[in-house]
Amino acid sequence: MSFRALRATYRHATIWVALALAAGCALSPQQKRDAINALNAEFRVEYERALAANGTRVFKTDRKTAVAAAQAAMTRLGMRLDDEVPALGYMSFSAPAPVPLTADEWERVNAADLPKARAVLRPHVGWMADHFRFEPKGLDIVVNVTVTETRGASAVSITMRMREVTPLDLDLPRRDYPPPTGVSMGLDKIWLEFEQALRARQR
Amino acid sequence: MPVSEPGYPDALPEQHRLHWYVIERVLGQGGFGITYLARDTNLDQRVAIKEYLPVDVASRRHDAAVGSRTDGSRERYRWGLDRFIKEARMLARFDHPNIVRVLSVFELNNTAYMVMRFEAGENLSQLLETRGTLGEDELLRILLPVLDGLALVHAAGFIHRDIKPDNIHIRADGSPVLLDFGSARTAAGKAHTLTILVAPGYSPFEQYYGSSENQGPWTDIYGLGATCYRAIAGRAPLDAIVRSKGILGTARDAIVPASVVGAGRYSGRLLAAIDHALAFSEKDRPQTIAEWRKELAGEGGTPVAVLRAEARAPGPRTMTAPPVGTSPVGAAAPPDRGPDKRAPIVWSIAGAAGAAVLIGLLLHYSRNADEPPKPPTTPEAEASRALQDKITALEKQVEEQARQRAEEERERREEAERKQREAAEAARARAESARREAEAERARAENAKRDAEERARVAAARRAEEEASRRAEAARLAEAARLAKAAPRSKPEPSPEPREAAKPPPPTAAQVLAQSDEAAARGNFGDAAALLKPLAERSNPAAQFRLSQLFLEGRGVEQDQKEGLRLLEGAATQGHRDARLMLGGMYAAGRGVRQNANVAYIWYGAAACAGSARAQAEQEAIKARLQPAEIQQAEKLIADLCRRG
Repeated sequence: MSFRALRATYRHATIWVALALAAGCALSPQQKRDAINALNAEFRVEYERALAANGTRVFKTDRKTAVAAAQAAMTRLGMRLDDEVPALGYMSFSAPAPVPLTADEWERVNAADLPKARAVLRPHVGWMADHFRFEPKGLDIVVNVTVTETRGASAVSITMRMREVTPLDLDLPRRDYPPPTGVSMGLDKIWLEFEQALRARQR
Repeated sequence: MPVSEPGYPDALPEQHRLHWYVIERVLGQGGFGITYLARDTNLDQRVAIKEYLPVDVASRRHDAAVGSRTDGSRERYRWGLDRFIKEARMLARFDHPNIVRVLSVFELNNTAYMVMRFEAGENLSQLLETRGTLGEDELLRILLPVLDGLALVHAAGFIHRDIKPDNIHIRADGSPVLLDFGSARTAAGKAHTLTILVAPGYSPFEQYYGSSENQGPWTDIYGLGATCYRAIAGRAPLDAIVRSKGILGTARDAIVPASVVGAGRYSGRLLAAIDHALAFSEKDRPQTIAEWRKELAGEGGTPVAVLRAEARAPGPRTMTAPPVGTSPVGAAAPPDRGPDKRAPIVWSIAGAAGAAVLIGLLLHYSRNADEPPKPPTTPEAEASRALQDKITALEKQVEEQARQRAEEERERREEAERKQREAAEAARARAESARREAEAERARAENAKRDAEERARVAAARRAEEEASRRAEAARLAEAARLAKAAPRSKPEPSPEPREAAKPPPPTAAQVLAQSDEAAARGNFGDAAALLKPLAERSNPAAQFRLSQLFLEGRGVEQDQKEGLRLLEGAATQGHRDARLMLGGMYAAGRGVRQNANVAYIWYGAAACAGSARAQAEQEAIKARLQPAEIQQAEKLIADLCRRG
């Protein structure tokens, strides 16, 4: 198995070290699928937990102001507005990973989430799990923000996914969910910027 | 997607485009794919296109793409697809009048398509069905050119593996073309991954092993021999598995040699060559096309080869009748070949050995007459038992495969029925939608008619009022003149200011829409746009929707995607069902906007809540592309839109 193929396996967040090649080890497609599915399942649970706790907030403002504040906040975090449907109150932003996190923050994500990720992978790929790393290169972080207005207040909702910039390997499942610590840190940063931008508009 | 052809639920529908090829109809479907008659619109000529669709592992999805049935079969599907493309590339190397000509191969719809020259005519199977048998000259006119083509294929290291009357096409001018290299593999292919592909009666015994190790040109020669046998006997030869019992000694080989079936009707040379090709063991057959061709032409050594084979034959053969297809061939040897001096010796040795074994067996059983018979323990008997076990295992394997095939067939049938039900359901939904649309159209027409009548009534009333007013004015003036005459000194009263003409009421929105529809129907899109603009500015959703179409298509106004999209969103936000459905489609396909599954899902959801069944189906289809959290997020916006209208 080539280094490139291994990277494609965990295309948005992982690298299997070339040591596997040296050892002449090869993973079967089924092993790879099982490993990705296990990681997806684990991260999805954590991701949905984070969104349930901190994915939606309600602000005493009209929709127009909330939309403007969201755009200002995301731009300040280094994210680009890809899509906007004002009629819906929908915006989609993206940036090369690890934005909106910094490199230092990404290292903290590694430190916090790698042991768990390796533990999830180990039953499927054995000792190769110990060489698993989160790798932001070649990935985009996509953030969807929606604003709905009810009774003089606006509910702002955020979701986050990863998107591979390089071509997909169609034979393998996709991994959509960022590491859980990355999700929590990203949400905190977005809300902080959003509240500042909103205050600036309400002054 | 339009409904596929009846009887081929997995097939692409007529008029479906594959690049510049337009599907006309299905020519046939096999286990590995579907073959279509299509038109190359660039060159304006007919072609045959074979689509890779192995029904046991893959099926058609609603978007025309082909996908593996299960995660488990994905790898198998990809492997087969890869082989299909390689096969096309391999065939494209051959430019021979008697091998199907491959023009191109391309990947699309997650599968691949092989474009071949379309040949009018019929296949040999159909011809034999009609005629029963063929005369020698006619048979050779078909057979010899096929040998030429096949020799070329063999020289390149490939074998066909599926030669039978179905795969020999006869052109209108009588020349043959060898088709369907679907199971062609390199002679050195991966033995363990080959699927057993057999055509009962036409496949030699070695093909039942599912291994390519002992397959070669002689495998195709068996298929050709069997095809010739079919042409002279009016039926296919016995299946190799059935023949194997005769070879084992558990039953007689019931095949009647060609030299018997065709005696008196065909030359001995041809019949001997056919019997030689049908030899049970691959080693006993001609090993190359050239060798067999010599036999057909009367230059070969059939009897020698067969007798050599007899001399090699294991013991059990001598215990039973000589297997037909081997020794009878020798018996029917062409007279032009000199006698083989070794033949009597070989027969003597074989006879003696057979007699010895027979005597031995008789003595053995006579000594143990009161004991239950035990299996013989001679090496020949051991070999016989081993071979018998192998055959039994093989029969079980074939039975198991037949069972699996029946099961798969049942699943396919159920799947086809389900698809047909869905197609019928979709057709009903479309008919219902069309009926509603027609009703709406009728209602619009009636409204327009009522509006026109109302306008005519108002105009008539206005004209009557004006007439009455003119008459009253004339009467007043006449009266004033009369009074002036009667009292010239009196000061004339000032005449009143003329009354202001009554203004016609402004046309209703429905009237404007009807007028714009009429203008558009006349092809006068400029007038239609001019009529719609003021109404659209007042946020009338129907006007916004109609005007958005004009901007998006650049009819009557300069094409402006942004303005078209703004108007379309305006209409959709106010609950216009068609505008929502259209936006869903635009975002799903990335047509005029950046492709975005989330936004497509939202607009489809909003159209569904406005009563569009089609939108509901589209929304369901796109759901798989979103995360559960994104679906929840989108549902909030859909609920918001549904509340608004």
